Amino acid sequence: MISDEAYRELEEAVGPENVSREPAVLDTYAWQPFANDNPERWVIRPVAVAMPGSTEEVQALVKALGRHGLKFKAFSTGWGAYSSPTSDDVVQVDLRRMDRIIDIDEKNMYTVLEPYVCGAQLQAEAMKVGLNTHIIGAGPSCSPLASATSAFGVGWDCVYMSYSGRNLLGAEWVLPDGEVLRLGTLGSDCGWFCGDGPGPSLRGIVRGSTGALSGLGIFTKAAIKLFNWPGPPRVETDGLLLDAQSEVPENVRFCMCFWPDRKNQDEAIYKINESELCYIFSRTGLGATISIAAPHLMKHLTGASTLRSMITGDLKYGCTLIMVADSDNEMAYKERVLKEIAKQYGGVIIDLAAAKPIIRMFLMNFLRSTAVPVVFRMGGQMFTALDRNDTWDTQMDWADMGVEVKQKWIDRGGILDDMADNPYMVSYEDNTWGHCEEIFQYDPRNPDHLAALEPLFVEFSLEAVERCMEPLSSTDARLRKIISPMMGHYTQWQQKISGFMDGKRTADTGMYCDEVDFDLQKVDPDIRTRFEKVIEKFSWTEDGPPE
Amino acid sequence: MTVGEIQDVREKFEGTAGPGSVSDDSEALSWYASAGLAEGGKPLFRVAPTDATQVRELVKLARKTGINLVFSSSGPPRFRGDTVPSGEAVIVDMSAMNKVLRVDRRNKMALIEPGVTFSQLKAVAEKAGLRPLMPLLPRLTKSVIASYLEREPITVPKYHWDMTDPLLCTELIFGTGDLFRTGSAAGPGSLKEQWEKGLAQKNPMGPAQTDFARIVQGSQGTMAAVTWATVKLEIKPTIHRLYFIPAEKLSKLVEFSYPAMRRKLADEFFIVSAFALATMIASNPDEIKAIAAKQAPYTLAYGVTGGEYVPEQRVEWQEKDLGELAQAAGVKSTREVPGSSARQMLETISNPSAEPYFKTRAKGSFLDIFFLTTLDKAQSFIDTMRDVASRNGYPVEELGVYIQPIQHGRSCHLEFNIYFNPQDAEDSSRAKALFDEASKALLEAGAFFSRPYGLWADLAYARCPDTVKALKKIKEMLDPEDILNRGKLCFKEVG
Ligand SMILES: Cc1cc2nc3c(=O)[nH]c(=O)nc-3n(C[C@H](O)[C@H](O)[C@H](O)COP(=O)(O)OP(=O)(O)OC[C@H]3O[C@@H](n4cnc5c(N)ncnc54)[C@H](O)[C@@H]3O)c2cc1C
Repeated sequence: MISDEAYRELEEAVGPENVSREPAVLDTYAWQPFANDNPERWVIRPVAVAMPGSTEEVQALVKALGRHGLKFKAFSTGWGAYSSPTSDDVVQVDLRRMDRIIDIDEKNMYTVLEPYVCGAQLQAEAMKVGLNTHIIGAGPSCSPLASATSAFGVGWDCVYMSYSGRNLLGAEWVLPDGEVLRLGTLGSDCGWFCGDGPGPSLRGIVRGSTGALSGLGIFTKAAIKLFNWPGPPRVETDGLLLDAQSEVPENVRFCMCFWPDRKNQDEAIYKINESELCYIFSRTGLGATISIAAPHLMKHLTGASTLRSMITGDLKYGCTLIMVADSDNEMAYKERVLKEIAKQYGGVIIDLAAAKPIIRMFLMNFLRSTAVPVVFRMGGQMFTALDRNDTWDTQMDWADMGVEVKQKWIDRGGILDDMADNPYMVSYEDNTWGHCEEIFQYDPRNPDHLAALEPLFVEFSLEAVERCMEPLSSTDARLRKIISPMMGHYTQWQQKISGFMDGKRTADTGMYCDEVDFDLQKVDPDIRTRFEKVIEKFSWTEDGPPE
Repeated sequence: MTVGEIQDVREKFEGTAGPGSVSDDSEALSWYASAGLAEGGKPLFRVAPTDATQVRELVKLARKTGINLVFSSSGPPRFRGDTVPSGEAVIVDMSAMNKVLRVDRRNKMALIEPGVTFSQLKAVAEKAGLRPLMPLLPRLTKSVIASYLEREPITVPKYHWDMTDPLLCTELIFGTGDLFRTGSAAGPGSLKEQWEKGLAQKNPMGPAQTDFARIVQGSQGTMAAVTWATVKLEIKPTIHRLYFIPAEKLSKLVEFSYPAMRRKLADEFFIVSAFALATMIASNPDEIKAIAAKQAPYTLAYGVTGGEYVPEQRVEWQEKDLGELAQAAGVKSTREVPGSSARQMLETISNPSAEPYFKTRAKGSFLDIFFLTTLDKAQSFIDTMRDVASRNGYPVEELGVYIQPIQHGRSCHLEFNIYFNPQDAEDSSRAKALFDEASKALLEAGAFFSRPYGLWADLAYARCPDTVKALKKIKEMLDPEDILNRGKLCFKEVG
């Protein structure tokens, strides 16, 4: 509940027409398609929603909340429950009125934008001047600002366009006390082109591999990097999602490669990346593609043992890549190298130019992540298991492990059968490091599926820790409490940062630095024993990490 | 401190870092008493730890005694003054921690200690078919970790994706005495266990929702000591060619640079003025003057490389495309400039500077002014600098200009070198006056002093009070007793 007085102050901050506490309106924020484990229990409903239209309004709003002991949770494009409140005293700050692309600096390859600009919008503008933006795998409707400043950042194009957090330049940041902090060059009135300095870079507290998820304030403007786009100013496309048909630009090659086994595949992937060939590079399972593109067909295929063994056996080791070129010579070089590598490692390259309908359908999915919503088709819900991104080899190990764990749960009827092998893998910055997350699909109307979610979450987290990796769940308040002592007690540092940035505790820190006890007694005894073992083995002592 | 107190502290430090680890050799200490324009430091003694445990104990000891610690990893000579203590301090000389602990060819990385120099890393990397990413002609004694922590720009902008590059993961000892590891090195598990699982400490971000390596980078030793770090290495090319583009006008080179860097066509990529180029080529003042007189006002150098597969074809593609871009910009590449072939220059820039250090060759000493900007603004800063130089009676044709694009060319490090004769009082004071006046004028004109040494700290921080406020809080968290390089940056008085 929000008091009338507090509500009035919110109205004063952003205008009465931009605040609401109508239950029906609030509930539109309280249902999220991702990480929502129970259709009966929606994510926590905010006590009000406010829509500021400027930095000054965000400041006034945050200050008003501080005065009334309320909290804020920012919402840029709100795709997934990460933008949802974690306690019942939170006002949702919906930033959709801040929707401008303020600048595209064509020469210096960056843009300045507001929170509600989405990836597709930015990409359309950037392509007009021969540039492109990194778009996360969550899709083109997501906010590039939210990912760069506050959330995660993996996408199909990471091989060429890096990770959202690494693409942040100058930024304007409303702190939890309502003051504005301008990062890097912006703070010194030198423009937007750099987010670091003078001296130590405050980007070090803005975020790590994950952002503070609104736990440290609200970003109102940010400059992010743009990248070369040698294609046309507009990729002509008709239709939506799987009905999309795009004109494939001349200087774009779209290939699938299959390798005889993991060893050859991995060697080839290292070489492809070392040769700096790719604009898009990814590895997904063929079964995964079918489950997304044709879920009904998938249900039939899973029973067909020959097809199944072909998809999970002979065709298991494959990768998809898009190459672009600014000149014929560049493309000739890239094509030749790819062929050489395929020859050396027994690979087969399928140039999808020969399969026009497929390439035309998938092109924008890769360039713009358009087809993401179809992951919900199979069962209505999906979730994912993410490890610490590091070498490609470790990511392949994670993918193999994912198949084993998932198959067990598929056999138990805990998740849907997508042939188990459903990794989403990309390489960052020409394989400086790699990414793998194991996706699984479930039906939230099926009680067995709902019951499997927590054990799966725990098991995948344990698998990550056993592999010396930080799990995705390091943002979960319960697992954070277990994992942080194995990683230099990072929560304590985050709590200290929160302490000095947010004396009044106005930010919702549930996904940033709060800790909650985890009752391991409820966990499967085998898993519990394994967990207790790693806790003992890996927890840091006064002397530091166990050596 | 009284002599007795110093003796007492000295014994404690020696007790911590082991017999023979402490020295008060006056010559060695004098290296820290002044550097560049910084002077007046009072190094009490020097302690040389050999491992992270000792470093940690030294920090804890400093917390107890309140003594100021100045960490230093490179050998002399020093130029920027960041290791000249404000008042009394113990110098923690990390140069004895100089092991390359791991080189991983497959994952193109090395794990190194702070005392490792570029020549050392280069030798080890090359054996594995790799090469380090280097700043332009670092001095022979320069620590790789120190260089990367200072955000010295590397000469290959296409491998500079983000400001932290080529630094990856680090082990830190904060001023609190706490040990912390960043990036994927943070764990869980020891380094050995992580290696056994196939990890190579290649992901620089994190752990979790922090990135303390970014806080420590650029902090001039005021936040933490780094006891090891992993760094990116790149493949050693099978073909490597360098080209020059001499030009009368910088604008032509800028016109060429933007599309070339956008397409990541070249490896090495930088622009130097005639005089700066001559200091890289020649070894004595007369020769430098003579060679500089023959150069075009600006020269751009770029490298093209071929790797494991069809290297000739790769090089041909790059050469041809870069050639077309050059033509479009109205410039032409060559394989020779007066005094140096491209091959010789490639050899030069693939190594640390030969002795004497190249910036000292023209007149014995130098002062650098450097900051970040974007390429399209470089000319207007050069105009400002030239104005101030001529007002101060400095011959503008003898100004060094070095433009190093960074972050794929999104911005650049712009550096001016003021050369002077340290034996000549008039020349020295003219150089100093020019340095002061030009620093202020450039700041006024919008220069971003992202690495604010000495005088620049006050100037740069006066412009960003909100940044200062946040930095002070972080300093208080990581170094509550203010024992790490006291008085530097914006931490003149903490709290
Ligand atoms: C199907 C699906 C696939 C996904 N795939 C990916 C993927 O491939 N890569 C990936 O990185 N993520 C992925 N996600 C995870 C996640 O949804 C997004 O990373 C993230 O939430 C971005 O969503 P958004 O842009 O709509 O931002 P929001 O949901 O609006 O915000 C994301 C987080 O940042 C905070 N925030 C937003 N704006 C601000 C601001 N201005 N200031 C401060 N804090 C702010 C929010 O409170 C929230 O915690 C996926 C999610 C789904 C549902």
